[in-house]
Amino acid sequence: MSEIELVSGPDAPGGELMAGVASVLGAPAAERRRSLRQLPQGLALRLYTAMARLRAFDERAVILQRQGTIGTYPPYYGEEAVQAASVLALDDRDWLFPTYRQNAVATLRGCPPESPLLLWRGNPAGWYDVHRYRTAPICVPVATNYPHAVGAAWGSRLRGESTVALAFGGDGSTSPGDFHEACNLAAVVVAPVIFLVTNNQWAISTPVQQQTKVTRLADKATAYGIPGVRVDSFDVFACYEAVAAAAARGRAGLGPTLIEAVGYRLGPHGTADEPSLYRDPERARLWAGMEPLGRAGAAMVDAGLTTLEALEEIRESAVAEMLLAGDQLEAVPVPELEEIADRVHLSTPWTLSPDHLREPSYPRAG
Amino acid sequence: MPTNPKTNRTGSRPTSRRAVARQLPHGLTAQQCREMYHKMVQIRHFEDHAAEAYAQAKVGGFLHLYIGEEAVAVGAIAAAREDDHILGHYRDHGYALARGCDVQACMAELFGRETGICHGRGGSMHLADAKRHFWGGHAIVGSHIPIGAGMAYAMQYLEEPLVVLDFFGDGATGNGIFHEGLNMAALWNLPVVFICENNLYGMGATLAEESPVSDMMIKAEGYTMPAVQCDGMDVLSVYGAVQQAAEHCRSGKGPFFVEALTYRFRGHSMADPELYRDKEEVRRWRELDPIPRFGDFLVQHRISSQQELAQVNEEAEAEMLEAVRFADASPWPDPSTAARGVYANPIDPEAAQEALTLAADPAPAAS
Repeated sequence: MSEIELVSGPDAPGGELMAGVASVLGAPAAERRRSLRQLPQGLALRLYTAMARLRAFDERAVILQRQGTIGTYPPYYGEEAVQAASVLALDDRDWLFPTYRQNAVATLRGCPPESPLLLWRGNPAGWYDVHRYRTAPICVPVATNYPHAVGAAWGSRLRGESTVALAFGGDGSTSPGDFHEACNLAAVVVAPVIFLVTNNQWAISTPVQQQTKVTRLADKATAYGIPGVRVDSFDVFACYEAVAAAAARGRAGLGPTLIEAVGYRLGPHGTADEPSLYRDPERARLWAGMEPLGRAGAAMVDAGLTTLEALEEIRESAVAEMLLAGDQLEAVPVPELEEIADRVHLSTPWTLSPDHLREPSYPRAG
Repeated sequence: MPTNPKTNRTGSRPTSRRAVARQLPHGLTAQQCREMYHKMVQIRHFEDHAAEAYAQAKVGGFLHLYIGEEAVAVGAIAAAREDDHILGHYRDHGYALARGCDVQACMAELFGRETGICHGRGGSMHLADAKRHFWGGHAIVGSHIPIGAGMAYAMQYLEEPLVVLDFFGDGATGNGIFHEGLNMAALWNLPVVFICENNLYGMGATLAEESPVSDMMIKAEGYTMPAVQCDGMDVLSVYGAVQQAAEHCRSGKGPFFVEALTYRFRGHSMADPELYRDKEEVRRWRELDPIPRFGDFLVQHRISSQQELAQVNEEAEAEMLEAVRFADASPWPDPSTAARGVYANPIDPEAAQEALTLAADPAPAAS
């Protein structure tokens, strides 16, 4: 495991911001090894595999964007632990409500990686089956997915089902009113929902200190009378425990939980972003040692759960899978104009009907 | 003398005028206390006459009465400077009268007359008086919370020593715009006092149905905002809380949250049959009626005599009867001026006329 340089400053690794967050990998070596060895059989490797696949997808997507195969893309390098832990800690019947930065989580539930890639290519073939993977379409407008998740969770409770819903978000998403209305309603109706807020300290170019006065986002939970927990966002095992505990609370009828996964956005906001214009690259380098895949792998080898070779094999196989998926994209036919409104409305209005769109008078590009 | 269990204030009878002054809380003078009593009585009588006029179909639209909550507006506004800014929700008659707006103009506004405080264009829910820095009742729940934050930002930017009092109800705190307003106010250290009138109901929704926490002041913790709870049925308690809050804001320490525990004796609006609460609950709260309660305090402290209080009530009644007569006799606004006050830059009258003509006689559809 690489040495993490501890520097002064509240928002650095080992600083005030991370003080007291739940962490498995941050524990002293003996305790860390004991914790990893006590995990259920095969869980560590499953978490590692999920993270490796997410990583390979993300790296492939960035390459495809640079090649012009897909359009703009929001990389999630460094957030793999939060995403992999959430999917694995939940039951496959539980609902996920991702944002653009969790655009590939459905692939951890069997969705072919081509689907999200085609989405970024602007091809309707990229719409995966929402019900099959219990994963809602990604939401790009910030915080809009929180009330969706509350609705799903409340519905599940009213129907007497035991499923929970999890909504992802970032530090910036805690400022819009949607976040407040979602937390408020979820707490009132005791909805089994998990608000998983990854505090990566940056909302595009706005630092979290310019976003809200609260330094620990989990403290916002107090206003709703719900638990707010803080966890190391680069620690897949700690994230797993936090989500599993929140899901158990929800299933027991105890209502919502706010999880703040604390860390740093290691990469740019999107493929059209240049973070060095607004933040010190040195700071990102300080956090680079926390990168979750390598960190988990090193700890697993250290605990004797696996070997470096086995992990390399997992990563190689993930890279091959995503390479193949990327190669499929150009062969998928370009959509017809008539498909533009598919899956937008429950019943398509006549202005967007195929007949109307085929009218010679309909304005066309070029 | 009895001890009031709620305020823990004993009624021991002082011996001299100077002793009276020493006993008054929050640095209040006897004259200020008499004025606060007068304002509360004015509001109560104004509302009684508004209700009567509404039943006689003299008032259009909705009518939301402030009866029972008088101590909140009066105590809060008395604790602020005369030129501090005020914003409130649609249950807004109390703020206007507590700020000293013209009683006849307020009544005429309810009646929709040209002599109204907004020339009959606002009605009951939109009383406003710019020269008194009362920026209105706002009908959309919570909508004025970020407006108040914005006004406070202007005061901070212009380096004016004024603070904003922004009144809203418990129901408004469930709104996203509440969150956005408080978040920005806390972040930018804005001089705004958020005053939550917790009257236990958001229309017909009980507190438990609308909010996960029963104390609204807990919600301020999500913004690291200092907060205090006061007895909204006790004008002195409200005065003390808002005095503390306004001082905090004026000294540049950022926003402050005040929760006033209060109760509306009447329905949400005139159209509310109140099926969601029982009469026994209303009766219990009526025992805490802020007007007789404060009247007792004034008498016990020899600030006013029973006869003086009775006279205040008689004068307020006469004043409101006169206000109703004034409103009844006032002219209706000229319909051709309907667009006045809508746009900062009024629209071109010719273009408006053209649009009206088109609306009256639409062109036949092209064949």
